[in-house]
Amino acid sequence: MADLLPEHPDFLWRNPDPKPSYDAIIVGGGGHGLATAYYLAKHHGMTNIAILERGWLAGGNMARNTTIIRSNYLWDESAAIYEHSLRLWEALPDELEYDFLFSQRGVMNLAHTLQDVRESVRRVGANKLNGVDAEWLDADQVKELCPIINTSEDIRYPVLGATYQPRAGIAKHDHVAWAFARKADELGVDIIQNCEVTGFLKDGNRVVGVQTNRGTIHAGKVALCAAGHSSVLAKMAGFDLPIQSHPLQALVSELHEIVHPTVVMSNHVHVYVSQAHKGELVMGAGIDSYNGYGQRGGFHVIEEQMAAAVELFPVFSRAHLLRTWGGIVDVTLDASPIVGKSPVENLYVNCGWGTGGFKGTPGAGWTMAHTIATDEPHALNAPFALERFETGALIDEHGAAAVAH
Amino acid sequence: MSDLTVDVAVVGAGPAGLAAAVAAAEAGAVVAVVDAGTQTGGQFWRHRPETGDADPDGHGHHDWNTFLDLRRRFRAGIAAGRVHHLPGLQVWMASKNDVDGFTLRTTRTVVGGEGVTPTVHAARLVLCPGGYDRQLPVPGWDLPGVMAAGGIQAFIKANGALPGKRFVVAGTGPFLLPVAANIAEAGGEVLAVLESSSLSKWFPHWKAAASVPGKALEGAEYAGIFARHRIPYKTRSIVTAVSGTDRVQTVSWAKADADGRAIPGTGGRYEDVDVIGFGWGFTPQMELPLSFGVQTRLDADGSLVAVVDERQESSVPGLFLAGEVTGVGGAVLAVLEGKAAGTAAADASAVVLPADVLPAKEAARRDRHRRFAQAMHQAHPVPHAWQEWLTPETLVCRCEEVPVSEVTQARSTLGAEDSRSLKSFTRVGMGWCQGRVCGFAGSCLGAGPGEPAAAASLASAAKRPLAVPVPISELASLND
Repeated sequence: MADLLPEHPDFLWRNPDPKPSYDAIIVGGGGHGLATAYYLAKHHGMTNIAILERGWLAGGNMARNTTIIRSNYLWDESAAIYEHSLRLWEALPDELEYDFLFSQRGVMNLAHTLQDVRESVRRVGANKLNGVDAEWLDADQVKELCPIINTSEDIRYPVLGATYQPRAGIAKHDHVAWAFARKADELGVDIIQNCEVTGFLKDGNRVVGVQTNRGTIHAGKVALCAAGHSSVLAKMAGFDLPIQSHPLQALVSELHEIVHPTVVMSNHVHVYVSQAHKGELVMGAGIDSYNGYGQRGGFHVIEEQMAAAVELFPVFSRAHLLRTWGGIVDVTLDASPIVGKSPVENLYVNCGWGTGGFKGTPGAGWTMAHTIATDEPHALNAPFALERFETGALIDEHGAAAVAH
Repeated sequence: MSDLTVDVAVVGAGPAGLAAAVAAAEAGAVVAVVDAGTQTGGQFWRHRPETGDADPDGHGHHDWNTFLDLRRRFRAGIAAGRVHHLPGLQVWMASKNDVDGFTLRTTRTVVGGEGVTPTVHAARLVLCPGGYDRQLPVPGWDLPGVMAAGGIQAFIKANGALPGKRFVVAGTGPFLLPVAANIAEAGGEVLAVLESSSLSKWFPHWKAAASVPGKALEGAEYAGIFARHRIPYKTRSIVTAVSGTDRVQTVSWAKADADGRAIPGTGGRYEDVDVIGFGWGFTPQMELPLSFGVQTRLDADGSLVAVVDERQESSVPGLFLAGEVTGVGGAVLAVLEGKAAGTAAADASAVVLPADVLPAKEAARRDRHRRFAQAMHQAHPVPHAWQEWLTPETLVCRCEEVPVSEVTQARSTLGAEDSRSLKSFTRVGMGWCQGRVCGFAGSCLGAGPGEPAAAASLASAAKRPLAVPVPISELASLND
């Protein structure tokens, strides 16, 4: 099966030392930081830029998610940015000249209760109006599309139907990061690892650079793409971000023959299951309720999730779980991201993506690049401004975020 | 059965676990023994199924009478209601809290059983999980027919059959001898035993060796078997490559210098080989001890082991350890350690003195065996230059098919010097074995050529929420 995967990269990017100054600095070398840098260089001609990563490239949530990509969010604003992101995904393998195994195998979101059904049917309607490919499947259609799901009526959470987005799917996360990194590097972006931002240089209310463990670096503009740690950075810069960080766990089994044709998510019981290209079952759990930056979670969450998984997929009951891991989801109170300007001039913020971060990677990078280059948000990310928590113009996506947070 | 509450839980029923269980039960404790095997004995005393009258006679075993004695007392404990034997189970998670003491969650060793697996609660816990055969990568070691030396032995002991006809046994340490002897006695042809070390490495340790005369007797016994079956025993010799089209056919070997580097122009090839068995000592099974955060140290053989006091108690109160996890040293040592651990664990007062857990004579014997083990590790080290055997294409991680080139590149260009970082970059240790086979080699490669694996790196290869793979349905049933 190894021949299915692209070659491991040898030297996809340089390993430069930081220069004394840049036109723009992006803090965080995860997927969003890399995509932001790529689009800044590609679409806005800003190539004198650096990505500062305190650890190693794509070593945070980019390495710790379940790689699901979809755009079937409820509200117009969310559907627009996620659908834009999905369209970018569809073009990226060619654009980045890297086959990162983007597999549009479809994603199902199961409905188990009458409320689920109503909410799901409503969402399908909203999706269609927004040009998102969405379908409502009844239980028989669910069974037809994914024969291994238990659709009997006498289980604790019977499958009453599902929303289905055929264009949704999964991708190989680390290859996505390498693909962006290679292209960004080719365009002149400095990717600097082991470089932790420890403070901000300001001239009045304008950011003019950052202090790091590798010295002071001046910058015309600074963008925070540090997921949950953005709030720590924001505090250093002198403002608060309304985000909380929670552990979110995932699990992987041994290799099995490919039997799972799609991706199945269940909002109600907090389980999502797909089968990776080599055959591992990849499963995600619900979040741990407490806040923290520890990349691990409580075992009771996994136990509950497995009970649900076995009931939905009896065929997997004897599959062995090999390992578990935790990532950090940074969530806002309306379960939508913050992408835009900050109270500090020339400082931009991208965070709070919750469980949507991986699927939003190109969309976040694309809109952030526009915002940084023009000092104005694009129409796609304007609704996701930080000020919405003062104005009250919230975009409540708790229903479509799949994992309650 | 779902929940069982006892005074002392013992994990493992090999030499250490059996001795611990017997000692604890005879001291009056109610004991539960969780063991992966379907019958007692562990790897060391693995034997044919105990069915009917055909009880194994102990042929090919050492200290078989010790086993029979322990098994008799173990069975007496079961009959008296003081020992609960839980065979065919592994502990996938062990935890401790102040109210309930220790909790062990178990999973079946063999898939297929139905119903809920037992959860064991105990006031005190003795872990005797044993170890894995240590493996080092060599070109071609991913071919079918490459086995762990201990794997061959287990195959013979459990089945009374051989996994092939023509064998080569290679690696280092006294363990290669019984493996070759078992093969020959079972009717297999051993083309050679290739020992990387030189026996002269024992000279500085003659005192420690002489203090355990039993080992010399074993050596003499093997010398007899080797002579009878005409098994060549080649020291300072290593396998340089294993090759074949679909499976092992040819084993190439060379003489080695003092660091274990192949000397060009020496050696030769063995053709038509069915099975090559490698053994580079043992890697203690540290998943469960590490899950409690016990204090650890690096042993003379480069293994991460737990620190214990004279009563075999770890840095975690109430947690006792015996056997490989406190340092690899053979079955006699394991039995003594198990006895001490079981006796100490049986005492609820927690003020038991070292002199109370092991008579002075046996304590002295334990010390002698520990010194012997240290001498053995120094006489049979993992060769200093083993990484030089590898080609860029040699797989380090067979599950995920990660070649040496990726690992060395991750170390040199990405700064991945420990098993955890290497895993993130290259997927080494991410497959079915979860680093149990490749963790030691991966940690060494991360440390760099000629460098020993760092303790933190070995620890992170073994520290995991799931100590063993566990079926989803068993996790699910916990939620009932």
